[in-house]
Amino acid sequence: MAVAIDPTLLPELQRYGAFDVAACFNCGNCTAVCPLTDDDATFPRRIIRYAQVGMKAELLASKELWTCYYCGECSETCPRQAEPGEFMAAARRYAIASYDKTRLARTMYLQPVIGTAIAVMLAAVFAMFMYVAHGPQDGSTLALFKFIPSELIHSLGLAIMIVVGLAGLAGIVTMARRIARSEGVGWGTVFGGRAALGRSARALWIALGIESLGQRRYRKDCESVQEPVAWYRRRWLLHALTMWGFLGLFGATIADYGLELLGTKATGTPVPIWYPVRLLGTVAGAMLIFGTTMLILNRLQQANRSVRKSQSADWTLLLLLWLTGMSGFVLELALYLPQAPTWGYWVFLFHVAIAMELVLLAPFMKLAHVVYRPVALFFYALKPSTSAG
Amino acid sequence: MIEQRIDIDALVVGAGIAGLQSALDLADRGYSVLLVEREASIGGKMIALSKVFPTMDCASCITTPRMSSAAHHDNITTWTYTDVDSITPDGAAFTAKLTRKARYVDEDLCIGCRLCEYACPVELPHEFEGNMGARRAAYIPFGTAIPQKALIDIDGCVYCGKCEKACPTDAIDFGQKPVSVTVHARSVVIATGFETTPLDAKKEYQGGVAANVISALDMERLLSPNGPYGRVLRPSDGKIPDNVAYVQCAGSRDETLGVPYCSRVCCMYAIKQTMLLSGSLPLADITVYYMDIRAFGKGYEQFYQTARSMGINFVKAKVARIEEEPNGDLKLRVEIIEEDGRVSEMAHDLVVLSVGLKPGDDPRRFIGVDLDQYGFVASPEPKLDATLTSMPGVAAAGTAIGPKDIVDSIMEASAAATKVATYLGPPPNSPQPADDGVQIDIREIEAGDALAVAGHSEVLRG
Ligand SMILES: Cc1cc2nc3c(=O)[nH]c(=O)nc-3n(C[C@H](O)[C@H](O)[C@H](O)COP(=O)(O)OP(=O)(O)OC[C@H]3O[C@@H](n4cnc5c(N)ncnc54)[C@H](O)[C@@H]3O)c2cc1C
Ligand code: HEM
Ligand code: SF4
Ligand code: SF4
Ligand code: SF4
Ligand code: SF4
Repeated sequence: MAVAIDPTLLPELQRYGAFDVAACFNCGNCTAVCPLTDDDATFPRRIIRYAQVGMKAELLASKELWTCYYCGECSETCPRQAEPGEFMAAARRYAIASYDKTRLARTMYLQPVIGTAIAVMLAAVFAMFMYVAHGPQDGSTLALFKFIPSELIHSLGLAIMIVVGLAGLAGIVTMARRIARSEGVGWGTVFGGRAALGRSARALWIALGIESLGQRRYRKDCESVQEPVAWYRRRWLLHALTMWGFLGLFGATIADYGLELLGTKATGTPVPIWYPVRLLGTVAGAMLIFGTTMLILNRLQQANRSVRKSQSADWTLLLLLWLTGMSGFVLELALYLPQAPTWGYWVFLFHVAIAMELVLLAPFMKLAHVVYRPVALFFYALKPSTSAG
Repeated sequence: MIEQRIDIDALVVGAGIAGLQSALDLADRGYSVLLVEREASIGGKMIALSKVFPTMDCASCITTPRMSSAAHHDNITTWTYTDVDSITPDGAAFTAKLTRKARYVDEDLCIGCRLCEYACPVELPHEFEGNMGARRAAYIPFGTAIPQKALIDIDGCVYCGKCEKACPTDAIDFGQKPVSVTVHARSVVIATGFETTPLDAKKEYQGGVAANVISALDMERLLSPNGPYGRVLRPSDGKIPDNVAYVQCAGSRDETLGVPYCSRVCCMYAIKQTMLLSGSLPLADITVYYMDIRAFGKGYEQFYQTARSMGINFVKAKVARIEEEPNGDLKLRVEIIEEDGRVSEMAHDLVVLSVGLKPGDDPRRFIGVDLDQYGFVASPEPKLDATLTSMPGVAAAGTAIGPKDIVDSIMEASAAATKVATYLGPPPNSPQPADDGVQIDIREIEAGDALAVAGHSEVLRG
């Protein structure tokens, strides 16, 4: 098969991160030290080679971009200090931008000022929209959903979910098709017959359950090369708390809406702390706040080699998550104070606007790894036709 | 402290093969030379080698004659166990302050009989043997050392006095003090040589931790007929190795170690050692993990090809990590680049790190010459005049300037001697009318002038 060479690939990639793979002399040290590389996915040297040579299609079809968890061991030991770990991160950013056909992701990455402006404006637009539609502020109790009608929030939320769903799906399909083709995986491999279905189910479980929710290799393999830190500052734990927290809050919000649809409980009615949905929300919120606060601290202090180089995209994600968590927490305080304070209404407005923005922007920023990583992990877990490779 | 003063034409600092050659060339031309060596024997690193590439000459067989001609040359004064404290310009000449360290043995009385060594009850690791063998606290540095004079390692000495009783010439003198000497030298040659990069520089290689990860210099000793074990055994348990690995660029071409340059000799010495090993261990598998093989000199590529045809296994891979097994064996993690890029763990029972070359000393401690960013002596004309330094009247030679092999070190040493001779003008005792008082900055000499002077000195010698 002919290989298309794109000489602009390396300069283009260089805009997405601070690495110097032009210095790389292809020794393979990085691949051999990597705790996650394995016979079915060898990186980062092979991927760096794609970049040096200009093999764009191969690079974008590499599940390996997402099986790197940026432990930084390769960068630490690279004899040319070419920063292979940062290269992989940059290649992921480039992939997110490439899978997104709207070019919004590209702008967010390459023009941080415009990107930030877009993010701020978007939040402002959501806030304005709700503000214009707002109702009375009850002074005695925080009647949040009289202030901003819950139908409005729900329809807006639904609309956002649909947009995100479509944009995300487009990205996933683009990515999955490229990887599937390069891995030689077809519909038959995944769905053709009992054995294939069984294998796919197993791969799905590994990708989603063990690797994503369970964070097995993040926890085990990456940790084996990470600098020793107090257990509550371990990278995998902070990430897991952030992820579980985010998913928990997402779940609680959806469940709340579900209860309203079922007619069990209207959104916003005060419930005791042990009420399952509220309990989930509180615990998840605490996890998210702790996780993101520590992750921000790590980046500020450049506490480990994975966070020595920060791009605005890294900050945007952490900040949005943190603001969502914090405003939610303050809101909960406001709700259950003996005397409901009126500032609670503004916090509420802020919280909803930020959360909506976070979800809406997900496919266009670093958060997109939430789906891209599991997709790549699925293909990795399939381990197709090693003999043919 | 006792003071001494002497006057000489050239002070040569370092008595490795480069310093020896410069000293010999200058002395042969009639200049008076003081050759200063900080260790207790002259010979430098070369005298510790087994055989030398690409000729496979026995290293001590070709080094000892040079060492003894220098030691016995009428125009050369050789001081071993002597530190250089400072060399400062003094008009057109230099004032050098040296310290002759205390050997606790009177060199004039000692006859090298070794009776002190046999009497001494203390056993210490033998540095010359890569700490693999043992030596006494009263000892002669090594078998081929020059001078064959004992010294006492006072830090290891238990003051039992047995050596003193054993000595037939009453040479042992526990009251000996270091002697400060001021030397007036009209020129200087810096030949301070190299050290190997530390065995433990790259922590991933377990050097200094795993007993069977050794440096190539240790292997030179194991391969020497007069080495610590008399044959090649691995240090942990004395087993005869049957699966040896060489890790190339183990201290060089690595930014993380601050040594981005290529050390030039390690590919060749590794090839040499594998050939010697396949002679002494005919059944052993030998693998060299390399990034590139640098075989640039005359006859070197053929030498490399010979090793390949002898069945030495060359694998293109940078070793990333070495892990020690409980039985002392080692596992090397590499990416097999030339095949499918898979990561493999290769098992070996002895690993030799092809350590790199770094400066043997920091000359700035005692003289104001410019160094390059890695601490090697820098020439203002690195291409046209490699032996030049930033100070008029001071030349440099050998690995003090940068990594190189013996052939190049010797050629540079001769070149430095020529530059110094030109700078000095005809030797003081020459029968020809000398251009006394004319000081030539060696940087200003044209090639034609140098040739003229070279021809001139031929006339002088003939
Ligand atoms: C393992 C190994 C194997 C090798 N095998 C070969 C081979 O087979 N063939 C080959 O061509 N090359 C070989 N080489 C390279 C060879 O050893 C060098 O090219 C050569 O020894 C350089 O000689 P030198 O005089 O420049 O330095 P050195 O031999 O290091 O001599 C420098 C001398 O200066 C002394 N000194 C340093 N500082 C001071 C000071 N301040 N005052 C007084 N004295 C000082 C030192 O003690 C030393 O005696 C090998 C090198 C290694 C590491
Ligand atoms: C709701 C889900 C998720 C959230 C909220 C989330 C959040 C984050 C955040 C905030 C970071 C940045 C950490 C930092 O700045 O130090 C991050 C990084 C990371 N995430 Fe996630 N994540 C989610 C899902 C996943 C999944 C499913 C995986 C799959 C294994 C994953 C793997 C990683 C890895 C390996 C990193 C580190 C490398 C990098 O910074 O790019 N994440 N995630
Ligand atoms: S370790 Fe560095 S120089 Fe070696 S292949 Fe990887 S990026 Fe390139
Ligand atoms: S950062 Fe870690 S996981 Fe990623 S390629 Fe480098 S060593 Fe492997
Ligand atoms: S016993 Fe005396 S003479 Fe003999 S080697 Fe020792 S010091 Fe020298
Ligand atoms: S000579 Fe060979 S082993 Fe030594 S640094 Fe150069 S390439 Fe590496």
